[in-house]
Amino acid sequence: MESSTSGSVVPHLPGMEVSELSKNTYEVYIGPAHPGSGHMRIIVEVDGDIMVRVDPDIGFVHRTMEKLAEGRDWIKNIPLFERMAILDACNITLPYVEAVEKLLGTEPPERARYLRTLLCEINRIASHLYGMGIFGVFLGHSTLYMWAFGDREVFIDLAEQMSGARLTHSYPVFGGVRRDIPDDFPEGARKATRYMRNRLNEYAKIFLNNPNIRSRLENVGVMSKNLATELGIVGPNLRASGVRYDVRLNEPYEAYGELEFEIPVFEEGDSLARAWARVEEIRQSLNIIDKVVDWLEKHPRENFMHEKFWKTAPKLYKDVYTGQIDYAGKYRVKLMPLFASLKVPPGKAFARVEAGRGEMVYYVESDGKDVPYRVRVVSPSFRNVIAFKYLMPGHRLMDLPAIYGSFDYFPPEWDR
Amino acid sequence: MPAKVALKRNPKKNPLGRVFVGNIGALAIGLKYFLDPNRITLLYPHEYIKLRQGYRGFIVLIQDKCISCSSCARICPARAMKMLSVKVFDKRLKKEMVKKFPVINYNRCIFCGYCVDVCPTEALYHVPYHDLVYMNMQDMILSLEDFQKEPENVSAKEGIPVRYVFDEKRGLVKIKQEEEKKEISQPVEQTKQQESTKQQTNNPEPKSVNKGGVNQ
Repeated sequence: MESSTSGSVVPHLPGMEVSELSKNTYEVYIGPAHPGSGHMRIIVEVDGDIMVRVDPDIGFVHRTMEKLAEGRDWIKNIPLFERMAILDACNITLPYVEAVEKLLGTEPPERARYLRTLLCEINRIASHLYGMGIFGVFLGHSTLYMWAFGDREVFIDLAEQMSGARLTHSYPVFGGVRRDIPDDFPEGARKATRYMRNRLNEYAKIFLNNPNIRSRLENVGVMSKNLATELGIVGPNLRASGVRYDVRLNEPYEAYGELEFEIPVFEEGDSLARAWARVEEIRQSLNIIDKVVDWLEKHPRENFMHEKFWKTAPKLYKDVYTGQIDYAGKYRVKLMPLFASLKVPPGKAFARVEAGRGEMVYYVESDGKDVPYRVRVVSPSFRNVIAFKYLMPGHRLMDLPAIYGSFDYFPPEWDR
Repeated sequence: MPAKVALKRNPKKNPLGRVFVGNIGALAIGLKYFLDPNRITLLYPHEYIKLRQGYRGFIVLIQDKCISCSSCARICPARAMKMLSVKVFDKRLKKEMVKKFPVINYNRCIFCGYCVDVCPTEALYHVPYHDLVYMNMQDMILSLEDFQKEPENVSAKEGIPVRYVFDEKRGLVKIKQEEEKKEISQPVEQTKQQESTKQQTNNPEPKSVNKGGVNQ
């Protein structure tokens, strides 16, 4: 960094970044506590109201998750990693579970794979609706904020029926899932998807095709194909720039290889295309939910846990699953006591999924003990945040919320 | 049948549509919901959501079923559950002995339900409510006696139970339970009763064990 002004020397202290301001520009600090997503600061240098330099300053909600994971048993890390993005809980923890399954040499049975896919898609819709609600409130469109958060409640309710908790589901475990769907779930899920499909048309009318909103979003923050690939952007933001990349497409995991669905790719790469990409993704997720629910209804309720764990299950475990014990609920899959002191064979594993905001990567290394040797997490928001630095300069300050909101940036996910 | 890519573009605008159709469309939708809104508001102290069985709420111990294996304390991700040594009278061996039983600290509990799922004898269970206020932090560390009682469902005392159901037109619709009971016809209730009697025969000691099962 250049650290000299005319005559005097700018002090350079460790851990402190000093930069020189050119003439006639001002530095504006947006955040860390701002009325949008979580805590995150953007340092903007403005000339008039044109942004000259934008510096996203991250790390305000850092919780040392990777280090904490090294001191916890394997299964205890699942509720921990969920705290990265509790609104996308199943997608966030799934690659960790998959990576550990690779080390253990177990593969989840077919029904468990479909159940995981179902909760992943419910989470994806809830996550996109959350992002759209925040986007709406960034642009001063509080109607969309209320609508999106109200409709998100429908999918949170579906997730609660499946897993017993609204947000922190802790649903996938090594070798399977923790619960099967209740008897009245398919009916409710079909009603919810039919409702949401109609609702998306109304979203388009009041928000995306609204002339006020269109004029704020169209040709704002245009990210070219080249820039997007160069910066390593992931998720719907990448697909809005015309790049055909999705983990579900390139490396199908769980049940995605057996399901038929489309991956919407937009050409424009502006804020409007990013908003439309999310709407189209919600539509595809609704189709997937319908298909998975049909599949689950047709197939018998068995094979929800890997045989390796379930073969030793005593009779009581089967009674709990079939609902013979009246206080214990129904379709609950009991965990084996060995999960509490699980020792994973030494090795290295890598797994990735397409979370709501993009590609989620885990690298897990084991040295044969009951705690992981190393868990490395690369979250989608971490890879998207750099785009602010390159997209925002040249725009007016009023375009900052339009770009920030369209990226659906979620600080707790990056900060970990 | 893997996924396939669908190339799309932003919907086009025509100059007339931009100023006219767009605005009118947005206003019409706004007017529609102004006259006929989707309401999901819960009037909380007067109404409360009756959650279904299987919701991961507060945890209760059935001491008679506990075999002191401490699986629950070992699997707890938040270290909320601890084993407590207690002198109890063993019925089978007919002598006093020290045994370990779990107690919970609700300051730390994250309601992940691992302890309930891992218990080999189903000695722990969830109650389907979670709205409870403690007067101070010390009260949230439960003693063995408190852990065996179902916590008081305060909202049930003041409010009327309400349930949300899915609806094609409205998303979620609030239904009061009194109205719902009228809708349920007689035969459905009878089958429910039959089911419950069946379950009782299979499991001779249902919930009531947690009241009189303390041997100290």
